[in-house]
Amino acid sequence: MPTQKEDEKGIKTPSGIEVPVVVSPDMLDGRTLGKPGEVPFTRGIFPDGFRGRMWTIRQYSGFGSAEESNQRYRFLLDKGQTGLSVALDLPTQCGYDPDDPMATAEAGKVGVSLSNLAEMEILFSDIDLAAISTSFTINGAAAMIFAMYVAAADKAGIPRASLTGTIQNDILKEYVARGTWIFPVKPSMRLIADSILFANKETPRFNPISIAGAHVRDAGCTAVEEIGYTLVNGLAYVDELLRRGGEVDSFAKRLSFFFYVHMDLFEEASKFRAARRIWARIMSERYGAKDPRSLLFRFGVVCGGSSLTAAQPLNNIVRVGIENLAAVLGGAQSIFTCAYDEAFQIPTEQSAEIAVRTQQIIAHESGVANTVDPLGGSYYVEYLTDRMEEKILAVMNEIDDYGGVIKAIEEGYIQMRLAQRAKERKEKVDSGERVVVGVNRYSHEGEEAQFGEVFRLDPGNRRRILEKYQATRDRRDNDAAQAALRRLGIAALTDDENLMPLLIDCCHQYVTVGEMVAELKSHWGEFREPALIG
Amino acid sequence: MTRQELLDRRALARQLSLAGRASVADVLSEADSNFKTEKPAVRIGVTGPPGAGKSTLIARLAASRLQHGERVGVLAIDPTSPLSQGSILGDRIRMDEIADDPNLYIRSMPSRHAHDGMADNITGMLAVLESHNFDNIFLETVGIGQADYSVRTLVDTVILVVVPESGDTVQAMKAGVMEMADVYVVNKADRPGAKRTVTDIQSVLALKENNPGGWRPRVLQTSSEDGDVLLLDQAITDHLNWRRDNVDLLAHRRDQARYNVEMLLNRRVGELLADAEPAQLDRPISDIYADLVGRL
Amino acid sequence: MSLQGKRILIAKPGLDGHDVGAKIITLALRDHGADVIYTGIRKSPDYIARTAVDEDVDAVGLSVLSGSHQEMLVATLDQMKAMDAADIKVFIGGTIPPDDHAALVAAGAAGIFTSEMNLEDTIARLEVALA
Repeated sequence: MPTQKEDEKGIKTPSGIEVPVVVSPDMLDGRTLGKPGEVPFTRGIFPDGFRGRMWTIRQYSGFGSAEESNQRYRFLLDKGQTGLSVALDLPTQCGYDPDDPMATAEAGKVGVSLSNLAEMEILFSDIDLAAISTSFTINGAAAMIFAMYVAAADKAGIPRASLTGTIQNDILKEYVARGTWIFPVKPSMRLIADSILFANKETPRFNPISIAGAHVRDAGCTAVEEIGYTLVNGLAYVDELLRRGGEVDSFAKRLSFFFYVHMDLFEEASKFRAARRIWARIMSERYGAKDPRSLLFRFGVVCGGSSLTAAQPLNNIVRVGIENLAAVLGGAQSIFTCAYDEAFQIPTEQSAEIAVRTQQIIAHESGVANTVDPLGGSYYVEYLTDRMEEKILAVMNEIDDYGGVIKAIEEGYIQMRLAQRAKERKEKVDSGERVVVGVNRYSHEGEEAQFGEVFRLDPGNRRRILEKYQATRDRRDNDAAQAALRRLGIAALTDDENLMPLLIDCCHQYVTVGEMVAELKSHWGEFREPALIG
Repeated sequence: MTRQELLDRRALARQLSLAGRASVADVLSEADSNFKTEKPAVRIGVTGPPGAGKSTLIARLAASRLQHGERVGVLAIDPTSPLSQGSILGDRIRMDEIADDPNLYIRSMPSRHAHDGMADNITGMLAVLESHNFDNIFLETVGIGQADYSVRTLVDTVILVVVPESGDTVQAMKAGVMEMADVYVVNKADRPGAKRTVTDIQSVLALKENNPGGWRPRVLQTSSEDGDVLLLDQAITDHLNWRRDNVDLLAHRRDQARYNVEMLLNRRVGELLADAEPAQLDRPISDIYADLVGRL
Repeated sequence: MSLQGKRILIAKPGLDGHDVGAKIITLALRDHGADVIYTGIRKSPDYIARTAVDEDVDAVGLSVLSGSHQEMLVATLDQMKAMDAADIKVFIGGTIPPDDHAALVAAGAAGIFTSEMNLEDTIARLEVALA
């Protein structure tokens, strides 16, 4: 409940934007909003909003073995989910096979272990790859997993051109927040350009990158910084693609983005409205994009994450609902809603179902999807959108002034900023300045976080992963596998040979992710984390 | 590592902690007793502004020595926060590439009360390291500002590391810090401005070139190329050879004694001031001074 | 009370790259007077134990958010024992379900800190444990 005192000292959004008691029309810049589906796309990228196409409900799931994940996917497809999202275990994401000493404790733990094509074949057995859209959350080893997906389609006789889905493939934010980097920045950028250029030609309906702000946001930065850092990363990929001879109008329409939605409803909705017009302007003015589709800022979101609490976990259902609403009002193309127990554990079937139902209630009961950009023209929302735009541009300029995003990452500058932000956020929650219901207000004294069902991994899982891994390696034509690996290594030494076809060859020969990564590491080395803190 | 080697490391680590934490009284009572050295180590000091890549360069210099089977000790000093008295010791993780070598020992220390780029009781800690038979000891200074001059008296060869962006700093430093090093390194030389920074350093150094028979400081560029480190190694060896023939070791030892006493006095004065009743500080300066000297 | 003069190693064992908690606690410990070494991510238990010994730390804080807390704690403690350094206290923090706390304590954890705990409380508990 806001007290008199809070009113006096002024209220700010979490990004630090002054919130007026009431916004009057004269506080707006008076610029033209434009129509939905038209430059500058403030009101959305489609003229008919969700009436033309509902957003994709895309839940992040996958755990344990490929068999278990396959079962869970078929369960989710049955429940009406329209896209699959594959969570990979940390060894696969970091390019280690399950038998690597670095991997043994974590094989199959936070996602599926996908060390080679045989596992991919199990993962999608009885699922028609041409009929689903699949999203892979992988970055450091993204090119290898993308190659494996293409190889799986090849083997199933499915035309590459019919594949739809997204691979995250955004290495820059991994150096900053999520930590599944493998190679130094330069060869990593090359791999990303390789996969995007390959996808433009061979899998034109597949999104070869999802430039993500979600992880820096969840790690502690504000909504403004989330958009700002992500846009500068996006532009770094654009520059790399142009350097490699890409044409802006052939790749730009396949770039997509991924963000977190946290609790400040209007700020969250506004950040997407601001981001859309910044991106459209830069693509057209700086890069001379001509195809209208090159200007479209398409994005998916995740609702939940660090805004969820372990205390009074059922409250999280309400939080996710509000965040889900913000995402819809902001015009998201795909939405992942966290389960209420996800702050603590792998969701149970019950909590996972509530998360899907939340989206369906908003889509089909609330009526918010019936008209395009229902917030458009709201004094407050347009005021916020303008302020967000100004502040996002300031963040982007700060990185430019530092010497560009790659220098800022290699020297640990953004990482350090993020750590400081995270500490500030923690201190605000600790002090109660930032209210979190059930944690620092309205909490029950001495309350222990209570959990219902907690999903437990089958302890035999790791052993089975290792056995299958060994069996596949024993079964494959080892000479052919080694030959494919050697060809990959030779190509890696060139500056600009596209490595994707060679990675796909490796996958067809059941070369493992760990082997491909080790081969490339032997030529390129590994990233050295600056680990600069303060 | 054998069990005995592991135990030796634990012992060394604890001796260093004791030496680092010793009060002035402890130092004086222990002085001249422990830590006899069979063979003095080559001591190399590395200084330069934060972010210049001092730790990474030490790791590369250490790597070549480790490959020859030599034992390498590294003492890396990070600044103590004047607000909290705490510190983040971030140097050692920049040497991760060589961290597995059993012949390498890295120790991170906060600067604590020292304001000269060193740490409290640096002399004692170097003596402990030397008593554990290292062939080489690298001393990495805090690297903030021009005060890191003390490293000069503690080591055989001083390397000053800068980056191309330090060009303006080099100009500003002129004589002071610029005269303290034996070898100058412009690191990350693949960045723009490296050549200019080299020229800047050379022009500053030219001021003191009329010194017949003296050491002519080297100015090198380093990037991630292996060959660069070989050249740096050669410059260090050249300096050590020159030093062996030209430096008055007795004078150098006297410099060290002077430094040690000065540091102990500084700390003792700090201890006394910290313990002083606030009211005592309300008296005239000359009275405070006399009282302090009397209690020293 | 303060942590002045205490040497603390904050370490990220295994492949988990979520390092925000580790960095927050590193900054908070520094602000309370401790000398802190942060390893960065992706370190083996052996590396962590050797660093703890070489740096003669008073305590090690492991940060684990991947669910591998039990394995990582046990592996680190085993290495510490092998190096005759079982006296160095090992704490663990991160995303750790309440049901797992007892097993961690039984394995030798000197304390458990979860991300929702108040930073000041965390520091106060450490001050007592390391006094």
